[in-house]
Amino acid sequence: MSIIQRSLEWARKHSTAVQLIVPLILVGVLVQMFGSSLLVNVYTFFCVSLMMVLGVQVFMGNSGILSFLHVGFVGVGAYASGILSTPPAVKAMGVPNMFQTLVDLQIPVLPAILLGGIVAAIIAAVISYPMMRLSDAVGVITLFATLIVFHVIMTQWDNVTNGPRTFFGVPEYTTLTVALVGALLMIVLAYWFRESSMGLRVRASRDDRHAAAATGINVVRARYAAFVLSALMAGLAGGVWAHFITSFSPKAFYMSEMFVLLSMVVIGGAGSISGAVIGTTVVTIAREVLRQVEASINNAHVLSFEVFGLTELVMAILMVAVLIWRPQGIIGGQELKLSRFKFKKKEEVSNV
Amino acid sequence: MTTPMLKVDDIHASYGAVRALHGISLEVNEGEVVALLGINGAGKSTTLKSITGVLRPTSGSVTFLGEDITSRSPEKIVKRGISLVPEGREIFGALTVEENLRLGAFASYHRDRYKADLKEMFELFPILEERFHQPGGLLSGGEQQMLAIARALMAHPKLLMLDEPSLGLSPAITDDVFALITSLRERGLTILLVEQNAERALEVVDKAYLLANGLVEVSGTADDIKKKVDIASVYLGGEDAEGGEVQL
Repeated sequence: MSIIQRSLEWARKHSTAVQLIVPLILVGVLVQMFGSSLLVNVYTFFCVSLMMVLGVQVFMGNSGILSFLHVGFVGVGAYASGILSTPPAVKAMGVPNMFQTLVDLQIPVLPAILLGGIVAAIIAAVISYPMMRLSDAVGVITLFATLIVFHVIMTQWDNVTNGPRTFFGVPEYTTLTVALVGALLMIVLAYWFRESSMGLRVRASRDDRHAAAATGINVVRARYAAFVLSALMAGLAGGVWAHFITSFSPKAFYMSEMFVLLSMVVIGGAGSISGAVIGTTVVTIAREVLRQVEASINNAHVLSFEVFGLTELVMAILMVAVLIWRPQGIIGGQELKLSRFKFKKKEEVSNV
Repeated sequence: MTTPMLKVDDIHASYGAVRALHGISLEVNEGEVVALLGINGAGKSTTLKSITGVLRPTSGSVTFLGEDITSRSPEKIVKRGISLVPEGREIFGALTVEENLRLGAFASYHRDRYKADLKEMFELFPILEERFHQPGGLLSGGEQQMLAIARALMAHPKLLMLDEPSLGLSPAITDDVFALITSLRERGLTILLVEQNAERALEVVDKAYLLANGLVEVSGTADDIKKKVDIASVYLGGEDAEGGEVQL
């Protein structure tokens, strides 16, 4: 009796995390068992996207500051993990100008992904130290400018990234299970941070920076903590992504990807973890459907021209529509919570 | 004579080029309830801001419990034991009542004490227990004021500063707020109160300072002030307003 009750009690207290995690696992198991290989791929990619989106959410959702930069941290994680784990022979061939020390490096994939996250977090810790002191609008523009700096470094530093050319030969590692575990880990991390005292401080500063300071909150330090943690998460997501896609170029970490990432955050509702999950779901489904539509229109040759960019167009319209009618996103700022009523009922049943 | 808990000595402060305080001095002793009175623009809120470090005075000093706290950062001053309930309540609307209270407790957080403190707040403000999991923004004005005061109390302040606690509240709720101030006073809490409603404030305080144009015009015990100053004339620019209760 006590175990059931205690676990119910626990589930009620953390109902937000539980009700996000359980369906993800269920769908994952179903897809793995019965899904076509396309579906497995789509779900894996969904989980990887979810990792990235949650990384963004931890900073943006809690602090209320729009971040264009996080796709850059995804890139840092991807390159770091890729460079660390790709076999020297492949690197020597694929990246002709690479520093010899980097060419010789090779460590297993999992530690490489973790290190990729840590590299992203360290870079974030250095660059955001002055940035978190900037006021909101100026801070947003600075983050955007920093993304451009990241992009220039990635496209020009051919001793490390192979410049604008494709970096290929990254060992494949990310299966559906890996991506799912990663996504669940991110949910737990995002949830833990949101409910932690530091997370609460950051959320208070979103409401009113000055009132937060008057309550005794060091706003800069709170935002700094959120930023570094979210960069770590974005970097980890980048590593997992790199070992899924196996070859990529700096283009993958720039405007259009940033737009996709932000649309996932904004459409679901940046203020909550539930919003991030719902937004990623909606955008992933919409993108897959639109891509199919686009492909079948083009294959049918009914039009005299190629349909191109339909996906981006519809996504942009969707985002504008959400911003007009539901500026807080589909979910809004509050987390989804099963009503207490339902839980009470279940508890009574279990007591009988 | 004992040294005062809070001693503000000749502070000057300005907003950009506009000078707001021209040398305010005041003292608050432990266990006292002190009011700052005066019309809009007299410098009441600015004085509080200067004490809490939100605004840096251009000269003068603020001493709290024998320590110079002039121009310290607000969060450090809160940790020293001064809590401010800002004007217009400024609770965190997107956070739940529970989270608002937890934020208040951060300045001196102990898990065990937190639970006991919550219980105490529920006794003082039963409505907060009812609304515990609701976002603060959905509370009524009076409830938000209660929450703002409860949040400040969670920090175990040695000195509580209330900026216009009755602003925008109905007369009935205003009564509640003043009843609360009286009961906090009986518990021995030291309070610095800024109030427009001078008549009401003088009923609950030991001492008061009447500010005008950034200077202390009159100070003394509540009875002194009542005798010395025609409150109505202060608010109505010196013209006799036939006594009567003035509420602005």
